[in-house]
Amino acid sequence: MTELAAALQALGLPPPPAASYGREQAVLNWCDQGALLAEFARQRGLVIEHWLQDAGVQPGGLLSPAQLLALLAPLLRLGADAPFVLGQLWWPGHYGLASQALRQSAHVLQAAERLARRAGRLSPLLTPRVLRQEGRLWLLFTEACGLPAAQRAALVDLHLAAFVGFCHWRGGQRLPWRAHFNRSRPRDPGAQLVWLGPELQFDCQVDALSLPLDCARKPWAAEGGAELALAALEAGADAQALRRGWLAGLSEQLLAQLCAGAPSLETLARSQGVSPATLKRQLAAQGTHYQAELDQLRALVAAALMKLHGWSPERVGAALGFGDASNFRKSFRRWTGLSPRAWA
Amino acid sequence: MTVSLRSFPALRWRRGLQQLARLDYAPVLGLRRFGHGLLLVAAGLALLFALTGQPRPLASWHGMDLLSEGGLCGLLALWLAQLRSSRPPGPVSNRLFLGLAAWLLGAWVDLLDEFWLLPKAWWWDNALESGLTLAGIVLLTWGLQGWRQEQLALNEQLRRRERDWRDHRRLDPVTRLADAVYMSQCVSQQLQRAEPAWLLMLGFEAFEQVLREAGLAEAEALLDSAARLLCLNLGRQDLVCRYAGDRFVLLLPGLDETSGPALERTLAQALAALSHADAQGRRWQLAVRSSGLALPAPGQPEELMLELARRLASA
Repeated sequence: MTELAAALQALGLPPPPAASYGREQAVLNWCDQGALLAEFARQRGLVIEHWLQDAGVQPGGLLSPAQLLALLAPLLRLGADAPFVLGQLWWPGHYGLASQALRQSAHVLQAAERLARRAGRLSPLLTPRVLRQEGRLWLLFTEACGLPAAQRAALVDLHLAAFVGFCHWRGGQRLPWRAHFNRSRPRDPGAQLVWLGPELQFDCQVDALSLPLDCARKPWAAEGGAELALAALEAGADAQALRRGWLAGLSEQLLAQLCAGAPSLETLARSQGVSPATLKRQLAAQGTHYQAELDQLRALVAAALMKLHGWSPERVGAALGFGDASNFRKSFRRWTGLSPRAWA
Repeated sequence: MTVSLRSFPALRWRRGLQQLARLDYAPVLGLRRFGHGLLLVAAGLALLFALTGQPRPLASWHGMDLLSEGGLCGLLALWLAQLRSSRPPGPVSNRLFLGLAAWLLGAWVDLLDEFWLLPKAWWWDNALESGLTLAGIVLLTWGLQGWRQEQLALNEQLRRRERDWRDHRRLDPVTRLADAVYMSQCVSQQLQRAEPAWLLMLGFEAFEQVLREAGLAEAEALLDSAARLLCLNLGRQDLVCRYAGDRFVLLLPGLDETSGPALERTLAQALAALSHADAQGRRWQLAVRSSGLALPAPGQPEELMLELARRLASA
């Protein structure tokens, strides 16, 4: 195993491979997130028929992630607090067994792990990933199957507020969360401060929450009843819960190949069992392309290795297959807008 | 590169028309189908011209006139639709609607002139055109006078919720208060005046619990009640805005280091005494946190409010 692979494994990456769903694939129950959004839309005075018509959705049946995004788009514009209020209702939610299992978690860490494992049901738009490093729990949110750029910030706010809100409600107390945003500081981060807590960090390379591990392991009051939902899930109920967004699955494969050396579009396509042209087309359908995904991933890995493992830029550059350090510095600046020294 | 179908202007037009058709139009003089009636009258006038007039040869059509008169008709129809879809029925509305409708018909007769020639001896088409336009403008003026008085009455109702200027984009849909951006504009004006004031933030202790246990509707009703309660407790010069979530931010001019905290305590107690009954009959009475600072203070308005929010979050 290479040094890089060992370091990534210590971070808990990459997770085991899983089946995936695409952006246009109808895999989500209308009565899960769809019904929740309909309730919010009704409360905020939208005409439900028009709202559904504009998103091209028939209630009942199954929704694709793209349809869920189309339903969300007008709602996220209803006032500055809309993403945060939706977030309060997002988890544990009423999404069947996965929600029940999430609710019965014993502490924050377990909740994060259950969330990440059952992301296909609980978090179909942003895939959560759990890392443990430097005595902190990190819950990273990465794109599941592509997001419109205009909705990205609001969706990240929604998910961060959802987990902070869920843990506050379940544990009965505010926790010292630190929220990290992969965007620059807005003019007035008041809403983020009120809903997520006073510790906000902008211009990070990830959208994430972090918390000291000892807080994350502090047990919550037990929820009544045996963990029947978890047992049913372990026995194979709700296959969708285990699935991952196509893009999230792809970046996991890419990550595994990154450890073995510099991957190319051709090798990635081969490992997916499709032709390079098909892979390109699939990526375009999610609104991205190969180089963008590779750069994003390398930026993330480099940022994590420097910040969490304390590696020097030279060492990171060498591990990622860069010939010389200045080349890596230039690339890192292109990916993130920062020099490696400034970041570390 | 993929091109979205929605990026074509023609399709956006269709969407615009669809939005227009979805609007709810106020009745005029109690007539819900006023728009259809207007169309019918316009069609009747066109028929009258077609039956009695001589079609103008294509060579004598005036492009500029067609454009300006047709454009005026189109815009008047749009104004009427906008007004009817935004105003409640009432005496002022009726004057405005009828004024616009009469003006629209006058402009329509003027436009029909461009397509059909009527014998010079006939006087009714000119009388119709000038009479309708004049009646329309007089009615519209009368309506605007009523609108002014109505607006002054509404401004009085909005006192304590807005100051000095209006920006509907800054209104919060839940509490119908202005938002943090509006407050920061007011604070920066206050800072420029360099007069003493107390900037105050109030927030509930366990608002998220209401949201989860009583539901979104009850949580928002609670916020609305809180906003109204705060308005009742404020003076004429004071302003209350919704900051974010369950936080309210208040600007109280004329208060200093001693009178500010005293009023702060009073307002916090008033809010803490609010007991909201939800649909199930459960009563929600939440503890309140507050934090304030004296103005003028160094820093941007957003930073001052952020500082208050931070103090409240870590209190």
